[in-house]
Formats: sequence, structure tokens, C-alpha cells
Amino acid sequence: WYQRRVRGAELKEYELVGKPLSKTNETTPIYKMTIFAPDEVVAKSRFWYFLRQMKKVRKVNGEILRLSLRSNTSPTKIKNFGIWVRYDSRSGSHNMYREYRDVSRTGAVTQCYRDMAARHRARAHSIQIMKIESIKAGDTRRPLTKQMHDKKKEIPLPHRELKYTKKSMNVANRPSTKQ
Amino acid sequence: MLYQRYIEIGRLCYIRLGDNAGKTCVVVDLVDQKRLLVDGPHCGLPRQVIRLKNLAITDLKVKIPRGCKTKTVRDALTKDDISTKFLQSSLSKKAEAKKSKAGLGDFERFKLRVEKTAHNRKIRSTVRKLKKSS
Repeated sequence: WYQRRVRGAELKEYELVGKPLSKTNETTPIYKMTIFAPDEVVAKSRFWYFLRQMKKVRKVNGEILRLSLRSNTSPTKIKNFGIWVRYDSRSGSHNMYREYRDVSRTGAVTQCYRDMAARHRARAHSIQIMKIESIKAGDTRRPLTKQMHDKKKEIPLPHRELKYTKKSMNVANRPSTKQ
Repeated sequence: MLYQRYIEIGRLCYIRLGDNAGKTCVVVDLVDQKRLLVDGPHCGLPRQVIRLKNLAITDLKVKIPRGCKTKTVRDALTKDDISTKFLQSSLSKKAEAKKSKAGLGDFERFKLRVEKTAHNRKIRSTVRKLKKSS
């Protein structure tokens, strides 16, 4: 049954299989797509959106054979994901290759959407995830991803400002930021 | 040294916020600048990704390889007896004190107030006497 969509929640990976309806009793080709969407409704919508662009089939003339939710393969193993994106900016359409470190494909794609919105003001409707691949550490290209591959990496927490929700603002001394 | 404590593989961290608040965990790997893969077999905490903002770093550290299995983490923790060492730290003691204070009943809180007033009164009278004599 349809679950209420939670804003800001991680996207889900759906595998959709659909085909154009056959007018005569001929066999029609079947198409499969991987869609990252917050729920099934959006997943189906995006499926038809992409299929319509690539093949001569519309939702009216087609049917979805299967919609399945893909689960996380290894939720405790950190992977480097390379994501090939196509997005529409204000002046044109561009391809991008972006890298994210995450524990799941859905986590990485969600990061990508948030990142594109932040850095390029790209809304979800103008972003197309063309390909997502788990890459070996040696094949990563971005320094932000590469810096995490050092097993001797140490992160200090200088001047750590923590949110003091219950502490009063009227105190004699400033809170300590030492960690 | 400017910084004593670092977020690094093997560092014991204390979870400040969230569902698992109050438990300690060991850093097994770093996802990115804000998230860590932690494991807490000594506390019954399953391996998971946690945000840095939910953690506080402790002084304690174990020697484990990056991304090792939970069994390795458990063995390293028991070998160094980290659980008892953590209980001696000020962070643990403060957390314990906070918890006991929150668990006080109304009568206990009254008793605490009476004792605190008596204690402060004693201090102030002694200070006053010293000021008068000097």
C-alpha cells in the first residue's frame, strides 16, 4: 500500500520492467530500467518519462510488468561511487561525473541530488542519473574521495561548536570547544 | 601538541545523541568528513554509519586494521580492557552523574537541595570569617 513520502528521506532504488502493449498479437520488446525515486509512484512516472524519450512508447500504450525494490547489498561496507549525471542548467544541458563515498547506492544518489541542488541549483526534475558504478579506490578521480582512502587518516575536531539545546545562554563562562 | 584527540581508525567514541546515546563505539572506517563507520560489540551496538555530530571523542584507542570484522574489534576491546578504562574517564563519570541526577525522586531532590544549601552556607561563613580576620 502507498506509504506516506517523508521529505528529505533517502531515495529508494527500483527496478522497473515495462513494455509497449501489442496491438496485434506480435511480441513487443521488454525494457528494464533502474530508477532512484522516493516512492513507487514517482518511480513509475520517471520510468515512463525516460522510456518515452528513448523509445516510441507512452504510458497509455504501455504496461509495467514489474516494479521491484532493490535492497542494499552491503550496508556496512563503504564504497566509492562514480555517478554519471546529466542535468539542465539555466542555459543548457550538461554531463557530469561526480564521486561520492557511501555505504549504499541509494545513499550516494541521494547525496548527488542534494549536492547538485546545492552547487548548481539543479532541481530533481532536471537531473538524470545516467549511470552509477561502485569504483575501486585506485580508480577514483576526485581528491575529496581520495583523501578518505588513507588508513592513517586523522581528523582533529578544532573549535568544536556543539548545539547546546538545554544549556542556558546566560552563563559566566563560554562553553569549552576543546575535544 | 595542539590536538590530542583525533578521529581515527580504532578511536573509542562516546555517542552523545540519538537512539544509541550513552554507548561507546570504535571507529572502524571513515565514510567522509562528517560520517564514520562504527562498531560497538561490547555495548551491543551493531556496525553502522554515524554522524560526527552525534559523537564525542575519548582518550582511548585500540589497534585495529581498517574495516576489520566485528570479531576483531571485540577481541581488541577485551584485550585492552577498554570498557573498564572508559568507566574511569571523566566523560563516563559525568554521564553517570547526569543519569543519576535525572533519576532522582522528589524527596531525593529535596534532600539534595538541603545538603547543597548547608554546604554552601558553610563555605560562605568560612570565607566571611577569613575576610574579617585579614
